[in-house]
Amino acid sequence: MAGRPTVYIIASDQSRNGKTLLARLMADYLLLDGKDPFLIDTDAPEGPLRAFFPGRTALADFEKTQGRMKAFDTILAAPGRDYVVDLPQRHVLDFFATVRELDFFSAAHEAGFRVIVFFIVDRATPSLRAAKDVYEEKGIDLFVAVKNDFVGSAWPPGEGALTLPLLPRDVALAISEKRFSLRNFVLGDDQGLESDQRLTLNNFMFSVLGSLNSLDTEISLAALKGD
Amino acid sequence: MKPTLILVGADKGGVGKTTLSRSLLDYFARKNVLTRAFDTENPRGSLRRFYPNITEVIDLANVAHQMKVLDTMETANVPVTIVDLKAGNLSYALDLFERIGVLEAGRNGLFNLGLVHVVGPSIASLDEIGEIAKYLQGVHYILARNSINETNFFEWDEATHEKYFSAIPKAQEINIPKLNEMAYEQVDLSGVTFKDFIENRTANGSNAKFSFVLRGYVKKWCSEIDAEFAHVQLLQEIVSGGRSGASV
Repeated sequence: MAGRPTVYIIASDQSRNGKTLLARLMADYLLLDGKDPFLIDTDAPEGPLRAFFPGRTALADFEKTQGRMKAFDTILAAPGRDYVVDLPQRHVLDFFATVRELDFFSAAHEAGFRVIVFFIVDRATPSLRAAKDVYEEKGIDLFVAVKNDFVGSAWPPGEGALTLPLLPRDVALAISEKRFSLRNFVLGDDQGLESDQRLTLNNFMFSVLGSLNSLDTEISLAALKGD
Repeated sequence: MKPTLILVGADKGGVGKTTLSRSLLDYFARKNVLTRAFDTENPRGSLRRFYPNITEVIDLANVAHQMKVLDTMETANVPVTIVDLKAGNLSYALDLFERIGVLEAGRNGLFNLGLVHVVGPSIASLDEIGEIAKYLQGVHYILARNSINETNFFEWDEATHEKYFSAIPKAQEINIPKLNEMAYEQVDLSGVTFKDFIENRTANGSNAKFSFVLRGYVKKWCSEIDAEFAHVQLLQEIVSGGRSGASV
Protein backbone atom coordinates (compact mmCIF):
# COMPACT_ATOMS: atom_id res chain seq x y z
CA MET A 1 0.00 0.00 0.00
CA ALA A 2 1.36 3.32 -1.02
CA GLY A 3 1.40 6.44 1.05
CA ARG A 4 2.18 7.30 4.63
CA PRO A 5 3.77 4.89 7.07
CA THR A 6 1.01 2.96 8.72
CA VAL A 7 0.32 1.19 11.98
CA TYR A 8 -1.71 -1.91 11.14
CA ILE A 9 -3.49 -3.38 14.13
CA ILE A 10 -4.81 -6.93 13.85
CA ALA A 11 -7.46 -7.67 16.47
CA SER A 12 -10.48 -9.74 17.37
CA ASP A 13 -12.60 -10.36 20.42
CA GLN A 14 -12.23 -14.12 19.96
CA SER A 15 -9.20 -16.38 19.92
CA ARG A 16 -8.01 -18.87 17.29
CA ASN A 17 -9.68 -17.25 14.34
CA GLY A 18 -6.73 -16.31 12.14
CA LYS A 19 -5.24 -13.13 13.63
CA THR A 20 -1.67 -14.30 13.39
CA LEU A 21 -2.26 -15.61 9.86
CA LEU A 22 -3.64 -12.20 8.88
CA ALA A 23 -0.68 -10.46 10.54
CA ARG A 24 1.65 -12.73 8.53
CA LEU A 25 -0.23 -11.95 5.34
CA MET A 26 -0.03 -8.24 6.08
CA ALA A 27 3.69 -8.39 6.79
CA ASP A 28 4.40 -10.47 3.68
CA TYR A 29 2.23 -8.20 1.57
CA LEU A 30 4.23 -5.20 2.71
CA LEU A 31 7.54 -6.99 2.13
CA LEU A 32 6.44 -7.99 -1.37
CA ASP A 33 5.52 -4.36 -1.92
CA GLY A 34 9.10 -3.35 -1.13
CA LYS A 35 8.34 -2.04 2.35
CA ASP A 36 10.29 -2.69 5.52
CA PRO A 37 7.65 -3.43 8.15
CA PHE A 38 8.40 -4.04 11.80
CA LEU A 39 6.10 -6.31 13.76
CA ILE A 40 4.91 -6.12 17.34
CA ASP A 41 3.78 -9.46 18.73
CA THR A 42 1.89 -8.90 21.97
CA ASP A 43 1.18 -12.59 22.47
CA ALA A 44 3.90 -13.17 25.07
CA PRO A 45 5.54 -15.41 26.02
CA GLU A 46 4.72 -17.64 23.03
CA GLY A 47 5.18 -15.07 20.30
CA PRO A 48 3.58 -16.92 17.38
CA LEU A 49 4.14 -14.06 14.94
CA ARG A 50 7.75 -13.65 15.96
CA ALA A 51 8.33 -17.31 15.08
CA PHE A 52 7.70 -16.43 11.42
CA PHE A 53 9.63 -13.15 11.36
CA PRO A 54 12.25 -13.49 14.08
CA GLY A 55 14.46 -10.72 12.73
CA ARG A 56 11.83 -8.03 12.49
CA THR A 57 9.51 -8.69 15.42
CA ALA A 58 9.48 -7.35 18.96
CA LEU A 59 7.76 -9.52 21.54
CA ALA A 60 5.93 -7.21 23.95
CA ASP A 61 4.01 -8.49 26.94
CA PHE A 62 1.16 -6.03 26.97
CA GLU A 63 0.16 -6.94 30.53
CA LYS A 64 3.30 -5.21 31.78
CA THR A 65 4.33 -1.58 31.61
CA GLN A 66 7.59 -2.62 29.96
CA GLY A 67 5.58 -4.41 27.25
CA ARG A 68 3.48 -1.34 26.59
CA MET A 69 6.62 0.74 26.36
CA LYS A 70 8.11 -1.77 23.96
CA ALA A 71 5.06 -1.57 21.74
CA PHE A 72 4.24 2.14 21.72
CA ASP A 73 7.69 3.60 22.27
CA THR A 74 9.18 1.40 19.55
CA ILE A 75 6.64 2.68 17.04
CA LEU A 76 7.01 6.34 17.94
CA ALA A 77 10.80 6.19 18.19
CA ALA A 78 11.20 5.13 14.53
CA PRO A 79 8.26 6.58 12.63
CA GLY A 80 9.44 6.18 9.05
CA ARG A 81 8.26 2.60 8.53
CA ASP A 82 5.15 0.42 8.72
CA TYR A 83 4.24 -1.52 11.85
CA VAL A 84 2.01 -4.55 12.21
CA VAL A 85 0.63 -5.11 15.70
CA ASP A 86 -0.77 -8.57 16.41
CA LEU A 87 -3.14 -8.41 19.36
CA PRO A 88 -4.32 -11.60 21.01
CA GLN A 89 -7.93 -11.61 22.12
CA ARG A 90 -7.04 -11.24 25.81
CA HIS A 91 -5.31 -7.88 25.24
CA VAL A 92 -7.82 -6.20 22.94
CA LEU A 93 -9.83 -4.29 25.56
CA ASP A 94 -6.74 -3.34 27.51
CA PHE A 95 -4.92 -2.27 24.35
CA PHE A 96 -7.61 0.14 23.24
CA ALA A 97 -8.10 1.41 26.81
CA THR A 98 -4.38 2.18 26.95
CA VAL A 99 -4.51 3.81 23.52
CA ARG A 100 -7.21 6.12 24.85
CA GLU A 101 -5.44 6.73 28.16
CA LEU A 102 -2.18 7.69 26.46
CA ASP A 103 -3.82 9.26 23.40
CA PHE A 104 -1.57 7.06 21.30
CA PHE A 105 -3.41 7.49 18.02
CA SER A 106 -2.97 11.29 18.19
CA ALA A 107 0.73 10.82 18.89
CA ALA A 108 0.92 8.37 15.97
CA HIS A 109 -0.76 10.87 13.65
CA GLU A 110 1.60 13.61 14.82
CA ALA A 111 4.49 11.30 13.99
CA GLY A 112 3.13 10.93 10.44
CA PHE A 113 1.39 7.57 10.73
CA ARG A 114 -2.04 6.53 9.67
CA VAL A 115 -3.80 3.88 11.69
CA ILE A 116 -5.61 0.93 10.13
CA VAL A 117 -7.42 -1.66 12.23
CA PHE A 118 -8.28 -5.10 10.91
CA PHE A 119 -10.90 -6.72 13.10
CA ILE A 120 -11.74 -10.37 12.56
CA VAL A 121 -15.46 -10.74 13.18
CA ASP A 122 -16.00 -14.19 14.59
CA ARG A 123 -19.10 -16.34 14.09
CA ALA A 124 -20.63 -15.48 17.49
CA THR A 125 -22.98 -12.49 17.42
CA PRO A 126 -21.23 -10.59 20.31
CA SER A 127 -18.27 -10.31 17.93
CA LEU A 128 -20.29 -7.81 15.90
CA ARG A 129 -20.78 -5.65 19.00
CA ALA A 130 -17.05 -5.85 19.77
CA ALA A 131 -16.26 -4.85 16.17
CA LYS A 132 -18.58 -1.86 16.47
CA ASP A 133 -16.91 -0.77 19.73
CA VAL A 134 -13.50 -0.82 18.08
CA TYR A 135 -14.86 0.87 14.96
CA GLU A 136 -16.01 3.76 17.15
CA GLU A 137 -12.58 4.31 18.69
CA LYS A 138 -11.34 7.79 17.84
CA GLY A 139 -8.26 8.18 15.65
CA ILE A 140 -8.62 5.13 13.39
CA ASP A 141 -8.12 6.13 9.76
CA LEU A 142 -9.56 2.94 8.32
CA PHE A 143 -11.44 0.09 9.95
CA VAL A 144 -11.46 -3.16 8.00
CA ALA A 145 -13.86 -5.91 9.01
CA VAL A 146 -12.43 -9.35 8.26
CA LYS A 147 -14.27 -12.62 7.70
CA ASN A 148 -12.39 -15.85 8.02
CA ASP A 149 -14.30 -18.54 6.11
CA PHE A 150 -12.43 -21.18 8.09
CA VAL A 151 -14.24 -20.20 11.32
CA GLY A 152 -17.32 -18.39 9.99
CA SER A 153 -18.43 -14.85 10.73
CA ALA A 154 -21.43 -12.96 12.08
CA TRP A 155 -20.59 -10.13 9.69
CA PRO A 156 -23.69 -9.49 7.53
CA PRO A 157 -23.47 -11.01 4.04
CA GLY A 158 -23.10 -8.34 1.39
CA GLU A 159 -21.45 -5.83 3.73
CA GLY A 160 -17.92 -4.99 2.70
CA ALA A 161 -15.28 -7.05 4.41
CA LEU A 162 -11.91 -8.53 3.70
CA THR A 163 -12.34 -12.28 3.37
CA LEU A 164 -9.86 -14.99 4.21
CA PRO A 165 -11.11 -17.81 1.96
CA LEU A 166 -11.49 -21.31 3.30
CA LEU A 167 -8.28 -23.31 3.21
CA PRO A 168 -8.32 -27.12 3.32
CA ARG A 169 -7.00 -28.40 6.63
CA ASP A 170 -3.86 -29.93 5.08
CA VAL A 171 -2.89 -26.61 3.47
CA ALA A 172 -3.69 -24.66 6.64
CA LEU A 173 -1.51 -27.08 8.55
CA ALA A 174 1.34 -26.84 6.04
CA ILE A 175 1.49 -23.04 6.09
CA SER A 176 1.32 -22.96 9.89
CA GLU A 177 4.77 -24.52 10.02
CA LYS A 178 7.11 -21.77 11.08
CA ARG A 179 9.57 -22.57 8.30
CA PHE A 180 6.85 -21.82 5.73
CA SER A 181 7.10 -18.39 4.14
CA LEU A 182 4.02 -17.08 2.36
CA ARG A 183 6.17 -14.48 0.67
CA ASN A 184 8.55 -17.08 -0.71
CA PHE A 185 5.59 -19.06 -1.92
CA VAL A 186 4.36 -16.06 -3.90
CA LEU A 187 7.88 -15.66 -5.26
CA GLY A 188 7.81 -19.24 -6.60
CA ASP A 189 9.14 -21.43 -3.82
CA ASP A 190 6.52 -24.16 -3.31
CA GLN A 191 8.22 -25.33 -0.10
CA GLY A 192 7.15 -28.93 -0.60
CA LEU A 193 3.46 -28.42 -1.30
CA GLU A 194 1.69 -30.85 -3.62
CA SER A 195 0.39 -29.44 -6.87
CA ASP A 196 -3.26 -29.28 -5.73
CA GLN A 197 -2.17 -27.65 -2.50
CA ARG A 198 -0.15 -25.13 -4.49
CA LEU A 199 -3.17 -24.31 -6.60
CA THR A 200 -5.36 -23.83 -3.54
CA LEU A 201 -2.85 -21.65 -1.75
CA ASN A 202 -2.21 -19.70 -4.91
CA ASN A 203 -5.91 -18.84 -5.16
CA PHE A 204 -5.98 -17.95 -1.50
CA MET A 205 -3.00 -15.64 -1.78
CA PHE A 206 -4.31 -14.06 -4.96
CA SER A 207 -7.59 -13.30 -3.24
CA VAL A 208 -6.15 -11.93 0.00
CA LEU A 209 -3.31 -9.93 -1.52
CA GLY A 210 -5.75 -8.51 -4.06
CA SER A 211 -8.06 -7.42 -1.24
CA LEU A 212 -5.19 -5.81 0.64
CA ASN A 213 -4.16 -4.03 -2.52
CA SER A 214 -7.68 -2.69 -3.01
CA LEU A 215 -7.53 -1.07 0.43
CA ASP A 216 -5.46 1.65 -1.19
CA THR A 217 -8.56 2.74 -3.07
CA GLU A 218 -10.59 2.72 0.13
CA ILE A 219 -7.98 4.82 1.90
CA SER A 220 -7.91 7.30 -0.97
CA LEU A 221 -11.71 7.51 -0.96
CA ALA A 222 -11.76 7.98 2.80
CA ALA A 223 -9.18 10.76 2.46
CA LEU A 224 -11.24 12.42 -0.27
CA LYS A 225 -14.33 12.27 1.92
CA GLY A 226 -12.32 13.72 4.77
CA ASP A 227 -13.02 10.75 7.07
CA MET B 1 -2.97 39.72 46.05
CA LYS B 2 -2.43 38.52 49.61
CA PRO B 3 0.49 36.08 49.77
CA THR B 4 -0.12 32.49 50.75
CA LEU B 5 2.01 30.23 52.90
CA ILE B 6 1.36 26.53 52.40
CA LEU B 7 2.92 24.04 54.79
CA VAL B 8 3.19 20.46 53.59
CA GLY B 9 3.81 17.94 56.30
CA ALA B 10 3.22 14.64 57.99
CA ASP B 11 4.22 13.15 61.29
CA LYS B 12 4.91 9.85 59.63
CA GLY B 13 7.70 9.40 57.10
CA GLY B 14 7.33 7.86 53.67
CA VAL B 15 3.79 8.98 52.97
CA GLY B 16 4.68 10.99 49.86
CA LYS B 17 5.04 14.44 51.38
CA THR B 18 7.70 15.67 48.99
CA THR B 19 5.75 14.23 46.07
CA LEU B 20 2.77 16.26 47.19
CA SER B 21 4.93 19.41 47.40
CA ARG B 22 6.19 18.66 43.88
CA SER B 23 2.61 18.20 42.70
CA LEU B 24 1.65 21.56 44.13
CA LEU B 25 4.62 23.35 42.57
CA ASP B 26 3.85 21.65 39.26
CA TYR B 27 0.20 22.57 39.50
CA PHE B 28 0.97 26.23 40.12
CA ALA B 29 3.50 26.22 37.27
CA ARG B 30 0.87 24.84 34.91
CA LYS B 31 -1.48 27.59 36.10
CA ASN B 32 1.20 30.27 35.67
CA VAL B 33 1.36 31.14 39.37
CA LEU B 34 4.77 32.12 40.68
CA THR B 35 5.99 30.06 43.61
CA ARG B 36 8.96 29.64 45.86
CA ALA B 37 9.73 26.70 48.12
CA PHE B 38 11.63 25.92 51.28
CA ASP B 39 12.79 22.44 52.01
CA THR B 40 13.36 21.72 55.69
CA GLU B 41 15.03 18.40 55.03
CA ASN B 42 18.30 19.99 56.01
CA PRO B 43 20.94 19.49 54.63
CA ARG B 44 19.87 17.03 51.90
CA GLY B 45 16.81 18.72 50.45
CA SER B 46 15.05 16.24 48.19
CA LEU B 47 12.60 18.89 46.96
CA ARG B 48 15.49 21.08 45.89
CA ARG B 49 16.69 18.35 43.53
CA PHE B 50 13.56 18.85 41.40
CA TYR B 51 13.19 22.62 41.77
CA PRO B 52 16.71 23.98 42.26
CA ASN B 53 15.87 27.46 40.97
CA ILE B 54 13.07 28.20 43.39
CA THR B 55 13.91 26.04 46.40
CA GLU B 56 16.08 26.80 49.40
CA VAL B 57 17.05 24.27 52.03
CA ILE B 58 16.53 25.64 55.52
CA ASP B 59 16.74 24.54 59.12
CA LEU B 60 13.49 25.47 60.76
CA ALA B 61 15.11 25.70 64.20
CA ASN B 62 17.45 28.40 62.94
CA VAL B 63 16.03 31.88 63.56
CA ALA B 64 17.75 33.37 60.53
CA HIS B 65 16.13 30.70 58.35
CA GLN B 66 12.73 31.35 59.93
CA MET B 67 13.16 35.02 59.01
CA LYS B 68 14.12 34.05 55.46
CA VAL B 69 10.71 32.45 55.04
CA LEU B 70 8.43 34.63 57.08
CA ASP B 71 9.85 38.13 56.88
CA THR B 72 9.91 37.98 53.10
CA MET B 73 6.30 36.94 52.58
CA GLU B 74 5.32 40.47 51.52
CA THR B 75 8.52 41.51 49.81
CA ALA B 76 9.34 38.39 47.81
CA ASN B 77 6.74 39.35 45.22
CA VAL B 78 5.78 35.71 44.85
CA PRO B 79 2.18 34.86 45.68
CA VAL B 80 2.80 31.35 46.95
CA THR B 81 5.39 30.06 49.40
CA ILE B 82 5.51 26.32 50.00
CA VAL B 83 7.36 24.88 52.98
CA ASP B 84 8.02 21.16 52.76
CA LEU B 85 8.37 20.06 56.37
CA LYS B 86 10.81 17.32 57.23
CA ALA B 87 9.25 13.92 57.88
CA GLY B 88 8.04 13.55 61.45
CA ASN B 89 8.27 17.29 61.99
CA LEU B 90 4.70 18.45 61.55
CA SER B 91 3.68 18.79 65.21
CA TYR B 92 7.02 20.41 66.03
CA ALA B 93 6.70 22.91 63.18
CA LEU B 94 3.14 23.85 64.08
CA ASP B 95 4.10 24.30 67.70
CA LEU B 96 7.06 26.46 66.67
CA PHE B 97 4.90 28.56 64.33
CA GLU B 98 2.36 29.02 67.09
CA ARG B 99 5.04 30.18 69.52
CA ILE B 100 6.69 32.66 67.15
CA GLY B 101 3.36 34.10 65.99
CA VAL B 102 3.14 32.76 62.46
CA LEU B 103 -0.19 31.06 62.95
CA GLU B 104 -1.52 34.17 64.67
CA ALA B 105 -0.39 36.33 61.72
CA GLY B 106 -2.25 34.01 59.38
CA ARG B 107 -5.37 34.15 61.54
CA ASN B 108 -5.15 37.95 61.52
CA GLY B 109 -5.13 37.98 57.73
CA LEU B 110 -1.55 39.12 57.05
CA PHE B 111 -1.32 36.21 54.65
CA ASN B 112 -3.33 33.11 53.79
CA LEU B 113 -2.16 30.06 55.63
CA GLY B 114 -2.70 26.51 54.44
CA LEU B 115 -1.61 23.16 55.75
CA VAL B 116 -1.52 20.13 53.50
CA HIS B 117 -1.40 17.15 55.80
CA VAL B 118 -0.28 14.10 53.88
CA VAL B 119 -1.41 10.80 55.30
CA GLY B 120 -0.84 7.24 54.28
CA PRO B 121 -3.25 4.35 54.57
CA SER B 122 -2.27 3.22 58.06
CA ILE B 123 -4.49 3.72 61.09
CA ALA B 124 -1.68 5.64 62.83
CA SER B 125 -2.33 8.52 60.44
CA LEU B 126 -5.69 9.11 62.10
CA ASP B 127 -4.08 9.98 65.42
CA GLU B 128 -2.01 12.69 63.73
CA ILE B 129 -5.19 14.57 62.85
CA GLY B 130 -6.23 14.65 66.47
CA GLU B 131 -2.77 15.76 67.61
CA ILE B 132 -2.55 18.79 65.34
CA ALA B 133 -6.19 19.90 65.51
CA LYS B 134 -5.46 22.44 68.25
CA TYR B 135 -3.27 24.50 65.89
CA LEU B 136 -5.71 24.69 63.01
CA GLN B 137 -7.96 27.59 63.93
CA GLY B 138 -7.91 29.94 60.93
CA VAL B 139 -5.78 27.61 58.85
CA HIS B 140 -6.96 26.10 55.57
CA TYR B 141 -6.50 22.45 56.42
CA ILE B 142 -6.22 20.05 53.50
CA LEU B 143 -6.02 16.39 54.32
CA ALA B 144 -4.31 14.56 51.46
CA ARG B 145 -4.84 10.84 51.33
CA ASN B 146 -1.89 9.71 49.37
CA SER B 147 -2.17 6.53 47.32
CA ILE B 148 0.63 7.34 44.90
CA ASN B 149 2.90 4.52 46.01
CA GLU B 150 0.27 2.38 47.59
CA THR B 151 -1.83 -0.45 46.37
CA ASN B 152 -3.48 -1.02 49.77
CA PHE B 153 -6.83 0.40 50.66
CA PHE B 154 -6.95 2.88 53.49
CA GLU B 155 -7.32 0.96 56.73
CA TRP B 156 -9.11 3.74 58.51
CA ASP B 157 -12.18 3.53 60.61
CA GLU B 158 -14.15 6.11 58.67
CA ALA B 159 -16.31 6.99 61.70
CA THR B 160 -13.23 7.86 63.76
CA HIS B 161 -11.80 9.79 60.84
CA GLU B 162 -15.00 11.75 60.50
CA LYS B 163 -14.95 12.56 64.21
CA TYR B 164 -11.45 14.07 63.93
CA PHE B 165 -11.99 15.67 60.56
CA SER B 166 -15.31 17.36 61.25
CA ALA B 167 -13.87 19.08 64.34
CA ILE B 168 -11.49 21.10 62.18
CA PRO B 169 -12.78 24.31 60.62
CA LYS B 170 -11.90 25.00 56.96
CA ALA B 171 -11.02 21.32 56.44
CA GLN B 172 -11.03 19.80 53.01
CA GLU B 173 -9.92 16.42 51.79
CA ILE B 174 -8.24 15.31 48.60
CA ASN B 175 -7.12 11.95 47.25
CA ILE B 176 -3.78 11.67 45.50
CA PRO B 177 -4.21 8.87 42.96
CA LYS B 178 -1.77 6.08 42.32
CA LEU B 179 0.84 6.68 39.65
CA ASN B 180 2.27 3.83 37.59
CA GLU B 181 5.34 2.67 39.49
CA MET B 182 7.72 2.77 36.55
CA ALA B 183 6.57 6.24 35.63
CA TYR B 184 7.08 7.45 39.18
CA GLU B 185 10.55 5.91 39.33
CA GLN B 186 11.52 7.36 35.97
CA VAL B 187 10.53 10.89 36.95
CA ASP B 188 12.39 10.46 40.20
CA LEU B 189 15.53 9.16 38.51
CA SER B 190 15.43 11.91 35.92
CA GLY B 191 15.27 14.59 38.61
CA VAL B 192 12.88 16.70 36.55
CA THR B 193 9.50 18.17 37.34
CA PHE B 194 6.35 16.29 36.32
CA LYS B 195 5.66 19.09 33.85
CA ASP B 196 9.06 18.75 32.19
CA PHE B 197 8.72 14.98 32.10
CA ILE B 198 5.38 15.24 30.30
CA GLU B 199 6.87 17.76 27.88
CA ASN B 200 9.90 15.51 27.32
CA ARG B 201 12.43 18.05 28.57
CA THR B 202 15.51 17.64 30.69
CA ALA B 203 16.15 19.80 33.74
CA ASN B 204 18.18 22.24 31.63
CA GLY B 205 15.40 22.57 29.06
CA SER B 206 16.85 20.46 26.25
CA ASN B 207 14.94 17.66 24.54
CA ALA B 208 14.80 14.43 26.49
CA LYS B 209 14.04 10.89 25.40
CA PHE B 210 11.52 9.87 28.00
CA SER B 211 9.16 7.05 27.22
CA PHE B 212 5.92 8.08 25.51
CA VAL B 213 4.07 5.52 27.61
CA LEU B 214 5.48 6.75 30.91
CA ARG B 215 4.90 10.37 29.94
CA GLY B 216 1.32 9.43 29.15
CA TYR B 217 0.83 7.90 32.58
CA VAL B 218 2.28 10.99 34.28
CA LYS B 219 0.12 13.28 32.16
CA LYS B 220 -3.03 11.39 33.09
CA TRP B 221 -2.01 11.37 36.75
CA CYS B 222 -1.44 15.14 36.69
CA SER B 223 -4.87 15.66 35.17
CA GLU B 224 -6.36 13.57 37.98
CA ILE B 225 -4.47 15.67 40.54
CA ASP B 226 -5.71 18.85 38.86
CA ALA B 227 -9.24 17.56 39.31
CA GLU B 228 -8.56 16.99 43.02
CA PHE B 229 -6.94 20.39 43.49
CA ALA B 230 -9.91 21.98 41.74
CA HIS B 231 -11.99 21.13 44.85
CA VAL B 232 -9.68 23.02 47.18
CA GLN B 233 -10.91 26.51 47.92
CA LEU B 234 -7.52 27.91 48.92
CA LEU B 235 -5.83 26.69 45.74
CA GLN B 236 -8.61 27.99 43.54
CA GLU B 237 -8.40 31.42 45.18
CA ILE B 238 -4.68 31.48 44.42
CA VAL B 239 -5.09 30.32 40.83
CA SER B 240 -7.84 32.79 40.08
CA GLY B 241 -5.74 35.67 41.40
CA GLY B 242 -2.38 34.35 40.15
CA ARG B 243 0.02 36.12 37.90
CA SER B 244 1.41 34.88 34.63
CA GLY B 245 5.02 34.06 33.87
CA ALA B 246 5.93 31.45 36.42
CA SER B 247 9.60 30.73 36.75
CA VAL B 248 9.23 27.00 37.39
